[in-house]
Amino acid sequence: MNLLTIPLRNVRRKWLKSALLLGVFALAATSITALSLVSRAVGAGMEEKLTAFGANILIVPRSETLSVSYGGFSLGDLDFGTEMLVADEVDKAIDSIELRKNISVVAPKLIHAGRVEGAPAGVIGVRWEREKALKGYWAVDGSYPEKRNEVLAGSKLADRLGLRPGDSTTLDGRPVTISGVLMPTGSDDDSVLFAGLSLVGEMAGTPGRATFMEVAALCSGCPIEDIVGQLAKALPGTEVTAMQQVVKQRMYSIRFVERLAFGVSSVILLIACASVGLSMLSSVNERVREIGLLRSLGFSRQGVFTVFCFEALLIGLTAGLAGYLLGLGASSKILSLLDMGGTTSFSAAELSLSALSAALVAALSSVPPALKAASVEPSKALVSL
Amino acid sequence: MLIEARNIEKRFGPEPEDSVLNGVDLAVDCGEFVAITGRSGSGKSTLLNILSGIMRPDGGSLHFEGRDITELGSRELDCLRATGFAMIFQAHHLLPYLTAEENVLLPAMRGLRPVSREQTEAARECLARVGLDGKGHRLPGELSGGECQRVAIARGLAKKAAVLFADEPTGSLDRKTGDGIMDLLGSLPETGLSVVMVTHEADYACRAQRTVELAGGRLAGIS
Repeated sequence: MNLLTIPLRNVRRKWLKSALLLGVFALAATSITALSLVSRAVGAGMEEKLTAFGANILIVPRSETLSVSYGGFSLGDLDFGTEMLVADEVDKAIDSIELRKNISVVAPKLIHAGRVEGAPAGVIGVRWEREKALKGYWAVDGSYPEKRNEVLAGSKLADRLGLRPGDSTTLDGRPVTISGVLMPTGSDDDSVLFAGLSLVGEMAGTPGRATFMEVAALCSGCPIEDIVGQLAKALPGTEVTAMQQVVKQRMYSIRFVERLAFGVSSVILLIACASVGLSMLSSVNERVREIGLLRSLGFSRQGVFTVFCFEALLIGLTAGLAGYLLGLGASSKILSLLDMGGTTSFSAAELSLSALSAALVAALSSVPPALKAASVEPSKALVSL
Repeated sequence: MLIEARNIEKRFGPEPEDSVLNGVDLAVDCGEFVAITGRSGSGKSTLLNILSGIMRPDGGSLHFEGRDITELGSRELDCLRATGFAMIFQAHHLLPYLTAEENVLLPAMRGLRPVSREQTEAARECLARVGLDGKGHRLPGELSGGECQRVAIARGLAKKAAVLFADEPTGSLDRKTGDGIMDLLGSLPETGLSVVMVTHEADYACRAQRTVELAGGRLAGIS
């Protein structure tokens, strides 16, 4: 038995009131935990989904451009020192960077001016599995190419050349099959023909090369500038640029979810704090006689302050433990209902953090009433005895 | 002298009629039983609160064991109340959620250091001394009014206080129970414990070795 026996026994004596306060605080802790876990899981899931809507980093070979004009006639821009990227080398270099885990897709592109049945057409060499991962929004009439001699036609190109899924045609004199036609995307993809990177490389006489690479990076864990910096360092002779607008749009969506969760959590926390504070204040008012008695028996102001703060701390600690476990269960249920992917898992560190934070918040909320209790003069309290 | 109060003044407002004590002198010796009597509003409870360090006087000096306690800081005064003085009230004012034994040990529960085995043994002995042997595990709600007052007295005995201050200790008890409490209080000075009791009942005041009567905030008589 010591000073802490008093709040412990009081909590036990007023178990209904303590249980109600514990319930309110545990509910708040549950809501905050669930919101935090759900927003984190949804943010990660959302980012993965957003990554399927295109690249946010572009890698191109470094070149020097010269504008040439003579006699009043412009001869256009001339590129010097342009060397194509070696797709496998770029892959290796990207694998070596520290933030590799933040990069979800690296999609090489080889641009070639080809001819389909003798008609000029822009041909883009791609690696299919990566391209599909990067452009989850593509819809195809027919199917994606699976064989080396299968190609995918953009909608406008297919209209212009009268191509349909299953048609056989020639590309630079080689027989190819149109496995599918891309549904209109409103982008440059509609006007070109997509083929395997190796096939286009052979046709263009640049096997294993790429004109540029598109990279989809997950940015929630680090700023995009860090990834760009590491890529530029690993890929000398290239220009690595972030497509800021795309990045900002994605980050805005993810941050919005996080901010919403933070805002709602803050309101819940404030309400919980007010509940604890008011409950403790009411307890102080009810227990003025008891405080007077304790003070008359020689309990110091700090002692009385400790009695009330410890009571709140005990309730906060219990609520934090219960809140985390309930919040974990609730977040799993919410995520399965939302069907947005993402999972939550038990973490002892998070449980401790939740319990300690709740205890601290509860103790801080009880400071004003505890100070009031500590300031009770025994002589004034004893007037009512 | 154990307690020596000189020219004690106390007022609860700026007006002359707000004055409750006007220069009261009182001395209490070791093992002495002093009763303070007077009509309602005479200032006897205020005097008791000042003597017991619960209230500070506005004027005068108050010495306990030769030390002027009016000059003590808040912490020193807390310490003095904890170790030197014991207090019982008209209502027993035990903490309802602690057992009788724990209520006796309450002054020892002021800090984070656990109550020792010796302190627990002493508490049991004190309960036995006031006739509550075997009832230490009971909550105040399970004890009679007289028994609760005995627990309050045992609380004072347990902390080995030098003075027991009692404010109308029989005020809420029936005659027979009150008599029992007075017998107990009367026996305490034999053990060296001084008792200062406020009462308005002349029969009980007579049991004290000395009776001090207050009227209008002044000493009206000593017998």
